[in-house]
Amino acid sequence: MTLLVVLLASFTLLLLAVFMSVVLGWANRAFYVEVDPRVQQIDIVLPGANCAGCGYIGCTDYAEAVVHDGASVALCAPGGESCAEAVAEIMGVEVEETWPYRAVVHCGATLPQRLGVNDYRGERTCAAANLVAGYQGCVYGCLGLGDCVEACTFDAMKMIWGLVQIDYEKCTGCGACVETCPRRIISRIPFKAERVLVVSCSNEDFGNDVRKVCKVGCIGCGACAKLSDLFTMDANLPTLDYETDRVEEGDFEKSMEKCPMESLLFVGKPSAEDLAATIDEELPSRVEPKFETTVDKAEWWG
Amino acid sequence: MELFADLLLIAIGAALVNNFVLTYFVGLCPFLGVSRRLDTAFGMGCAVTFVISVAALLSWTMTEFVLRPGAPLPNWVWSSLNPAAEAGAVDLSVLSYIVYIFVIASSVQLVEMYVRKFFPPLYKSFGVFLPLITTNCAILFACLEIMKHVVARDWGLAESLTLAIFGGVGFTIAIVLMAGIREELELCEVPESLRGAAITMIVAGILALAFMGFSGIGANVEKLLNP
Repeated sequence: MTLLVVLLASFTLLLLAVFMSVVLGWANRAFYVEVDPRVQQIDIVLPGANCAGCGYIGCTDYAEAVVHDGASVALCAPGGESCAEAVAEIMGVEVEETWPYRAVVHCGATLPQRLGVNDYRGERTCAAANLVAGYQGCVYGCLGLGDCVEACTFDAMKMIWGLVQIDYEKCTGCGACVETCPRRIISRIPFKAERVLVVSCSNEDFGNDVRKVCKVGCIGCGACAKLSDLFTMDANLPTLDYETDRVEEGDFEKSMEKCPMESLLFVGKPSAEDLAATIDEELPSRVEPKFETTVDKAEWWG
Repeated sequence: MELFADLLLIAIGAALVNNFVLTYFVGLCPFLGVSRRLDTAFGMGCAVTFVISVAALLSWTMTEFVLRPGAPLPNWVWSSLNPAAEAGAVDLSVLSYIVYIFVIASSVQLVEMYVRKFFPPLYKSFGVFLPLITTNCAILFACLEIMKHVVARDWGLAESLTLAIFGGVGFTIAIVLMAGIREELELCEVPESLRGAAITMIVAGILALAFMGFSGIGANVEKLLNP
């Protein structure tokens, strides 16, 4: 009896297995989906970290996007250049050159150059200071309380005279500061050269109003736009189109000379001339930390 | 008419009163895992409903003819081999779990191939959760519930399928409700310590509490149908 039950049971399962194999085998043929072999090849080449840094859900998703939607082959940050080359080889394309993106600050006024600055006793963050009226005259420019410096994980930003300066040796263009700035005066632009021209003002008011709140703010005279068609005036501010290649050519010398407020600045790594000019200056070999500002975030009230 | 009344009771019971997810707490992993967006959640609900129906059909057939104590097929084999034996002595119900899992896994495979062929975006949004329907306890729960009643000889195919389909509908209702709430939650300022899984669990618990409100319906509908 027991033996027979065991036999019956095995027989039942065997029958079931055969039946299901037939059904699934048929379905496998009937519902066959053709997968592009390049997707699989790219999937193998990619690191498989599924970090989603490329903007797709995972490596497989990115591989499909490369093959089907023509996504760039150079989006994989962990894979780096070698990975991009391998993917490009599979796709039969060249790796296009991508420009490094870096953050630039669209404000050029240091603390003494700003007018109408009031005594602010609130929390020492830009986010808080941005909420109250009358912190300073200019409602567009840098607040100088360093939220972006806090946000930067690469130690690339520092406050000098109440205005944030970016160290382009360290900046990776991650965009953390762009997100943090409550006044949205930091933007990421493609650095097609070591040094890039930047309009260092964000004030959209008319010249007269700008003069009342800032010594160096752009008065919207439009001289730069008249002299060079690289600039277009928009809301009393010149804007530069960084996507055009002509930014590198540099026919904006005249515009820079003519700018009455000197609001057009080159930012980027220091040029050889700058280094030569400062080489004789004595720099302190060791910077002593100041207890008031380095112990913690809290302001020292003395 | 009586059959219809029975079916209605089973349907309401499975979909609302004894909702699989919110009363029995089965099938919680897709309920929490795929309820992030409304359309995906609805797709998941439909897939589970389909799989649960196919699995119920197959498992009812297996239970009725092979697995239950005194099932016709094994007993016919047994008696033809051994004419002296008493009728209905063979009981293959030990096989029930393995057969159900087998049947469920196969139907999930079938659904996966089908969805992949005809609804690629849905297939993509399911991701790993589609194969995971295999181990979705809601489906095994439905199979076991059907087995209980088939062994007790009070359910036929119609009742079993009704339970399965409306169990699936109940699952869809629950997961779609959850997804709607979670989409709204994205815009809410949740206290930091409760973000993510914690608030989801709390919402699920409150939903389950809300579904307790249905518990009176079953008895009242029964009274209405069989005065």
